[in-house]
Amino acid sequence: MKSRKDTVENPENESGREMREMAEAMSLYRSAMHHIAQKHAETAAPWTSPERLAAEARQRARAHRMRLVLVPALGAALAAAVIAPAVGHLHHEKAAVARVEPAPVRPAAVVDDTDLMNQIDSDLTQDVPDALAPLADLSQSGSTNQSTENRNAQQK
Amino acid sequence: MHMEEIAGNELAIEKRDQAVLELADFDEVVRVYRPRILRFLLSSLTDRDAAETLTQECFLKAWNARAQFRGDSSLSTWLTRIAVNLMRDHLRSRSLRFWQKTRGNSLDVVDVSDWVPDGRSSPEDITLARHRVAEVWKTVGELSTHQRSVFVLRFVEEMELEEIAETLNMNLSTVKSHLYRALAVLRERLGGKE
Repeated sequence: MKSRKDTVENPENESGREMREMAEAMSLYRSAMHHIAQKHAETAAPWTSPERLAAEARQRARAHRMRLVLVPALGAALAAAVIAPAVGHLHHEKAAVARVEPAPVRPAAVVDDTDLMNQIDSDLTQDVPDALAPLADLSQSGSTNQSTENRNAQQK
Repeated sequence: MHMEEIAGNELAIEKRDQAVLELADFDEVVRVYRPRILRFLLSSLTDRDAAETLTQECFLKAWNARAQFRGDSSLSTWLTRIAVNLMRDHLRSRSLRFWQKTRGNSLDVVDVSDWVPDGRSSPEDITLARHRVAEVWKTVGELSTHQRSVFVLRFVEEMELEEIAETLNMNLSTVKSHLYRALAVLRERLGGKE
């Protein structure tokens, strides 16, 4: 081991030691920098050449154009595929509802037959409306003529 | 002598062709040189985010200028030159000056927590090694831009002085001068801590 006295007495040794230490420090520094750079290069985002970027951009633009055209077309087709059957189904349902609609239930006839007959009779014996009055006269005259003929036949 | 010249020219042409050919597969160029460029920028800027951003910009510039590359220098030198220019622009920008003022002397501490130096097993040795790295990191951060670039290219990238001169577009004597001053500062800092 070198004493302090030796190094002071021998400046060449001191200088040599300093140079060795410097060289060692710089060697360590180089090694550390290589390590750090390698580590960063591995973790850094991968390089993509501008040519590839441009190709990808072109591809994206093409896909976008296709979407612009296809999406409305597909939308329309989808709408047609969904809405048309839905409308048809609604229509069909309405029809079905109309067909299935039950006839109004009439209350069971509670009127007695005798009453019914009386009702009909009264209906028939009601006054003949004005508009049918001439016909009524005709029928009356018809019946008068018939009775007159019957009487004549009896007299004969 | 004449034969040597011819051989030298042929070798230069072969190297040039090889560099141009190498550039054709740009993904491979990025894979091979990215760690190196990132390392140079990280060592020079001592700022991780800026180093990563400029590394990305460096390859983007290289991609855009690949048609102009004639292979006069090696691909590594060409890419490093682009990185140096980007770094200079970055350092000149006003926003960075603002951040430098804001940051003051507090440099980012280099993250070497998971770095284990070769041939050192004891915890004391590893701690000492990390401490030394942090000292050098701090000192490099205090160097001037030129001194730092020369220092990093020489001692981290292990480039020859002529190649450094070519990369930084400097005279060889200027490169030597910057390197000498950088080493003097480092020696003073490391020696003063003893």
